[in-house]
Amino acid sequence: MKLAVVVQRYGLDINGGAELHARYVAEQLARRAEVDVLTTCARDYITWRNELPAGESEVNGVRVRRFPVRRERDPDRFGRQSHYVFGSAHSIADELAWLRSEGPASPALIDSIRLNGAGYDFFIFFSFRYYLAYHGIRAAASRSLLVPTAERDGAVGLAIFAPVFRGVRALMYNSFEERAMIQAASGNEAVPHVVVGVGSEVPARTNPERFRQKYGITSPFVVYVGRIDENKGCKELFSHFERYTRALRGNLSLVLMGNSILPIPDNPRIRHLGFVSDEDKFDGIAAAEALIMPSYFESLSMVALEAWALGRPVLANGRCDVLQGQCLRSNAGLFYESYEEFLETLALIQSNRRLAVAMGQNGHEYFQRHYAWPVIVRKYMDMLDRLRADDQGGAVRPPIEPLPGWFARRRTGCLAGNDVVAGLPAGPARRDGRRR
Amino acid sequence: MPPEFSVRSDSVDVDQIMTQIRARIREKRGVDYTEEELRQLASVKLETFLDPTRVRSDLIAHYRIMREPGDASAGPPENYAFDDHLVYGSARGASGRFITRIRKLLNPVLKLFINPNPIIQVLHRQSAINAYYREEFDRTSSLNFELIHNLVLEVTRLGIEVKNLKMRVESVSGRLDFSDRRARALESVVQYRPGTGPEAEMTETAAAPAPAPGGGQAAKREGEAAAAGGPIKGEAQRARRRRRRRGRGGAAGQPVPGNASAVESGPGGEASEDGGDTPAARGGAGDGLPFDGGEAGPAGAPAPGTGEPTDQ
Repeated sequence: MKLAVVVQRYGLDINGGAELHARYVAEQLARRAEVDVLTTCARDYITWRNELPAGESEVNGVRVRRFPVRRERDPDRFGRQSHYVFGSAHSIADELAWLRSEGPASPALIDSIRLNGAGYDFFIFFSFRYYLAYHGIRAAASRSLLVPTAERDGAVGLAIFAPVFRGVRALMYNSFEERAMIQAASGNEAVPHVVVGVGSEVPARTNPERFRQKYGITSPFVVYVGRIDENKGCKELFSHFERYTRALRGNLSLVLMGNSILPIPDNPRIRHLGFVSDEDKFDGIAAAEALIMPSYFESLSMVALEAWALGRPVLANGRCDVLQGQCLRSNAGLFYESYEEFLETLALIQSNRRLAVAMGQNGHEYFQRHYAWPVIVRKYMDMLDRLRADDQGGAVRPPIEPLPGWFARRRTGCLAGNDVVAGLPAGPARRDGRRR
Repeated sequence: MPPEFSVRSDSVDVDQIMTQIRARIREKRGVDYTEEELRQLASVKLETFLDPTRVRSDLIAHYRIMREPGDASAGPPENYAFDDHLVYGSARGASGRFITRIRKLLNPVLKLFINPNPIIQVLHRQSAINAYYREEFDRTSSLNFELIHNLVLEVTRLGIEVKNLKMRVESVSGRLDFSDRRARALESVVQYRPGTGPEAEMTETAAAPAPAPGGGQAAKREGEAAAAGGPIKGEAQRARRRRRRRGRGGAAGQPVPGNASAVESGPGGEASEDGGDTPAARGGAGDGLPFDGGEAGPAGAPAPGTGEPTDQ
């Protein structure tokens, strides 16, 4: 079987969520099938500037074909258009203009899919919201699988994406919450799908003591891993944790790993280690009392899965449906929606060691059951086999819905993306995947 | 530290734990805050706000630094200079100039459909209005900030003063309560030494049939009653006791002229009996500090109405 993974950026030094997800999946599937990666020459997701050479190369044994981006993103223009299509009634043409301004616009890559697509059995597209996924799926809908990596933002509510969600051959969701949201937005229940997520390269053994010695941390601590950003809920985390330290005497510290674009409070119980190696990251998580995940928007938190893989409980922001749903389904983490809940849940994890250990065990089991690589690869391969069997059986599928005509595209009939998303069902899913 | 949850390690139910946590928070907080919690919250907030160490002494300097033009993130976005070049122009270099020329050529055709000139004028005017308000804001904001800064300082100072006054009021109130209690306690344990007190006085009165010089009619009546040995004796004793008590009460206060014959005051005595319920007659008991003049004693107090001690 010959597969093509299509993603906006690709490389060992590219650590964006969806891009890393795509690389992991490509590398795992490469052991079971012939895999090419089709991507751009961009490294920076803000500008999509062509930084890497076009043409073929190899990354971790996977062949990568890079195509140039025709036009860099103008952040101001993109910001204005996002504001418009997410916040006001608009037309399909406005949405297409928004998509072009978002990028990475690489017509060469789309042409390659259109012209040479027959050489691949299936295309696996990552991140529905980008130019490549939208136009690539339209170019080869009958052989397209989509990994949407959708968050609860206005893009899900844009009208141009509903036909794409309905027109692909299959969807590989990250979570039940994501599936429920996309199905409600597009009515694509009939499209074959599976909730699969992504695994992680967690080391078999960790050394918490080494981490403690290296960074001179002797007291118990909770850890946050990721970009330290207001959008990730870090500002709220700092506020809650500082109040927590004032309310409860003790020596619990907060350790932060990752680059910061937010001032870190001057508090002796908050330690910022900066960007750390994978070894330090995993040792640090293993040494922590718990991992804190304060983000409001996640389609799947890989770092939470890594903490569970290492047997540590997670304290998540309950306002993120996906995180709350994962905590409930795994019984491996608590969540908070206010300071009072933060105080109670963190104090509980800190004080009730038996509970913390039990949640860690549950997390480990949850990870092994759902997110271990053999499980993930099996789900992908099962889906691909099923689609190929359908093809061989001669099943006829209607083509993807065409775009409206020139005049209809310019009619202001689309609701603001944010309004559409606000009307979608919310809340975590239960163990059977239904909404609570 | 919150109490342990009843969760077995082999059957963790996060849903149940969260339900318990939320129930406890609700229970702790209630639907509404209690009066006491509200008061506590209010005082905490106020104290935080009024903490003089938290008021930035360099508030205005800091504000000015933040608004320096070098800091792009702090300043407002650049204003548009809106003109017809912006409408027809293009930023695409050489091809842009060509596009601009074409657009201008086609302007008459465009005017068949819409007239862009009023739009350009309106937007230009809006740009000028924006610039005007920005200047106004720059001019007044520094003043406003200084004003707010001074207000914060003043409120802080007032807050501290109010706090001090509250403490003083509490202190005075405590002292008053203590004095009240002491007064009541002492009143209840009044004892007479042997050979003094009402009985001894009765004996003295019986032994001296003639009224004391200058003695009042009351004393005279008492003397007669004692001599008769009738039931009037007890009544006289009670009356005397009453008068003594009144006199003690009046010792600290300013005696009322003509009405101050606390005991055996001669002709004024009757008047004293009648007017005994007035605060003045009770020795100015309205000041509430009956023990301040206790040493002088009512008997020793001169009766301004008579000009002489009458109890000898």
